[in-house]
Amino acid sequence: MSDDQVGRVLGSEHTSTATFRVVVDDDQFLQLDDLVVVRTEVPKVGEVRTYGVVTEAEAIYEGARYESDTHRIAELGIMPAQKVRSATVAVTRVDPEIWVSADPGEPVERATGDERSRALYTDQMERPLPVGLGRDGAPVHIDLDFFDGRKGGHMSIAGISGVATKTSFALFFLRVLTASPEVVGEGAANLRVLVFNVKGEDLLWLDKPNARFAVADDAAEGWAAIGVAPAPFPSVRFWAPPRRGIADLVPDTGGRLEGIDVFAWTPREFVDLGLLEFCFTDANDAKNQLPFIRERVQQQLQRFAVDVEGRPGAIALRDPRDQPDGRWHGPIPAGQAGPIVTDLPSLVAELETILDPDDGEPDTAWTGRVQLSTVSAFLRRLHAASSRLGHLVRAGDSTRIDRDAANVTVVAIQSLHEQAQRFVVGALLKETFQHKEATGQRLPLSVIVLDELNKYAPREGTSPLKDMLIDIAQRGRSLGVLLVGAQQSASRVAPEVLENASIRITGRLDAAEAERAEYGWMLPSTRARARLLKPGTMVVSQPAVPVPLVVTFPFPPWATRREEVAADGEDPFAGL
Amino acid sequence: MARIFVEGWSPEYGAPLDAAELAPAEGTVDDGVEGVDWAPLDGHDDGCARIAFVDGVRRIDARLTVDDQLAGPIPGLCGTLAIGAVLWDRAAVRSEVANERVQRWAVLAGGRAERFPVVDLTPPYETMAIATRDGDALVHALQSTMRAAEAALATSLAADRCVFADGPLHELGPHEVVGVVKSHRVTYLDAPRNAVIAALDAGQRTPLFAIKDYGRYSWYVRLARVEDGHAWSGLVRCEASAHLPLATVRTIADRAAALLPLVASQPHMDPRAPQNLVPIGALERDLRHRMGDPGLVYRALRAAVAERRAS
Repeated sequence: MSDDQVGRVLGSEHTSTATFRVVVDDDQFLQLDDLVVVRTEVPKVGEVRTYGVVTEAEAIYEGARYESDTHRIAELGIMPAQKVRSATVAVTRVDPEIWVSADPGEPVERATGDERSRALYTDQMERPLPVGLGRDGAPVHIDLDFFDGRKGGHMSIAGISGVATKTSFALFFLRVLTASPEVVGEGAANLRVLVFNVKGEDLLWLDKPNARFAVADDAAEGWAAIGVAPAPFPSVRFWAPPRRGIADLVPDTGGRLEGIDVFAWTPREFVDLGLLEFCFTDANDAKNQLPFIRERVQQQLQRFAVDVEGRPGAIALRDPRDQPDGRWHGPIPAGQAGPIVTDLPSLVAELETILDPDDGEPDTAWTGRVQLSTVSAFLRRLHAASSRLGHLVRAGDSTRIDRDAANVTVVAIQSLHEQAQRFVVGALLKETFQHKEATGQRLPLSVIVLDELNKYAPREGTSPLKDMLIDIAQRGRSLGVLLVGAQQSASRVAPEVLENASIRITGRLDAAEAERAEYGWMLPSTRARARLLKPGTMVVSQPAVPVPLVVTFPFPPWATRREEVAADGEDPFAGL
Repeated sequence: MARIFVEGWSPEYGAPLDAAELAPAEGTVDDGVEGVDWAPLDGHDDGCARIAFVDGVRRIDARLTVDDQLAGPIPGLCGTLAIGAVLWDRAAVRSEVANERVQRWAVLAGGRAERFPVVDLTPPYETMAIATRDGDALVHALQSTMRAAEAALATSLAADRCVFADGPLHELGPHEVVGVVKSHRVTYLDAPRNAVIAALDAGQRTPLFAIKDYGRYSWYVRLARVEDGHAWSGLVRCEASAHLPLATVRTIADRAAALLPLVASQPHMDPRAPQNLVPIGALERDLRHRMGDPGLVYRALRAAVAERRAS
């Protein structure tokens, strides 16, 4: 009998190619997520190994017929019975691929070492990247080919909020990804990650050591098993919007001010990058003729906008009709500029005089014969946008976010109004996507981490931002733009975005949410458990492995809030 | 007017008392052996920690016919029996099934010398012949074999345990084995004594009486007061060997009266409640299971006979 034997295949009910049960030996145990292997002798084939993962563990008094027999057996002792412990196993792999069921009565062994890799298909992965630890403390891998676009792309993370698992897992994954150049391979050094901090200021401390790391249970062991040195992100830049109502550029963050760059767009950039469309990201804005007039205005702005001498970033709106080829070349003197657009309110004011002049009809070159009420609706939304995100557009030297300044770019948008958040996300996604489209190269990879995906790509309605996310989901794979999307409930996100994610991760789920079709990839037992998962425990599904796996990920070595930041001189990693 | 009752046992098991046979067996009973007043006696648990319940089950697997050209058809049968014990460790509050044994017998009438062919079963069939050609005697032979095996097991367990065996005693050596008889075919006592039986409360016994012709002491124990039951419901009759000293028999009679109600079964769980004791019921289920699937056994029998015919 092998040392690894834990029991035998149950023979009182049918085994199948999908599942079988194990009667556990008296001196052994099997728990959920344990990996096992059974060797079956198949006529004309030879030995076939069936690998599986434990999805349920059971125990019963054999011989008890009535519930009250339990008292007679355990309390009174007057009834003989046999305690039997068993486990249900979901088959993960049959090797060689002869799809027969495991023979009843065969010894069941714990899959360790090479057998474990085979059970999890790690031996077949060309680029295995750890995504967590199994119940046995050893790493569980995904095939990076299914994330970085070679065979599949994108990752979708679901789970209820409040336990901070979604973002924590995304960051854990990013850390492993950026620290594993040998797995990522070509272009690893130039890997770019764009992360949006949408809640709290959790992500503004990624470069700081976590003072609690040293006392966290199993944290150091976990990172050692993963094979990544536990350290904060080495290359990260933080960006935050400017604080409102202050002329100086001060980051609009609470806990941390140093080391944070302020970002904003100049009116010139606003026009050139076509950011006007991201002022209309509400799903309801797609109704009526609003998109039509918006596109018209966007084109006209690009024609009319002219730089003003001595006013960097500012523009004036002047008809280029008199210019040699109908276009503006170079700046004009401020004296000839007329009203100068230095921020969003002044741009809106200019547009209002063009679209809704006090005297007479608007210029149809701008409005395109839409109803006057549509023009009013357009201006009304522009005014609203101006008050919510006006401070993100200001003249002066360019303070655009430089995504090449570091591996990881964190953009703090938590302080912004929802509309302004969509504006920033839209602007940056467009920039990233267009950049990759222009180069046509898949490498280096560009990873985008976006929480609350349901806000940006909701299931219902349509908006420029949703269209772009769908575009990224569908085409980003071949362009090396990879979306790590997180949401509380997958059922509220555009299905096109979810369906294109090859890697699916789930933390704890709301009970009703877990029953939805979006989680059909989970086994019934996994669904039931998804309601009970602890923070730090996730269910991973990937195309290379036919059953979802439950993994844990270790405590982060970077701080996730101000109180966790280790004081200077204190080295939480001493001795590692 | 006497009242009419519906028996608690499922009808297929017969009745706990069979009126046709409840004929007094006069002259053979001595109801004065214990030397006490004829009145209900309370049971007494002397703390015996190791208890065993012994029982056996049997099954007729197939009917056989020996086709003798001259003597005509001669009946036979194949049967399986299983015996075993439940060992109740009262200190550990645990019971376990132990000492199970399965035997398979081919019984041929008319003293035939034929051997039944080898059947691919464990254990295999052994052949025995009985002299008569009576079909009922075949079953009886199987039954006797089972009772003898039960008795042998009870005797060996009695060396260090208090043993309760299902049914009347088969072996009457000086062993501390109590036979527990569930149904009452004979009224051993006269009318006033029967009134005492009716007055028994749960956990009480009658004084001992000796059944001289059969070499045993006997007493009645009330296991439980059955709701809506008649005077004889919830009652078992116990036996002990007359070769035991009277004082010993009194001790084990008191013990039986105290312990048996503890293991009496509930009416909704056992069709022969309360007399079919919980450990006995569990043991019988276990033993029936160990006899093997009847369909598979029958198939193996036919295969073995067909094989011999072909060879």
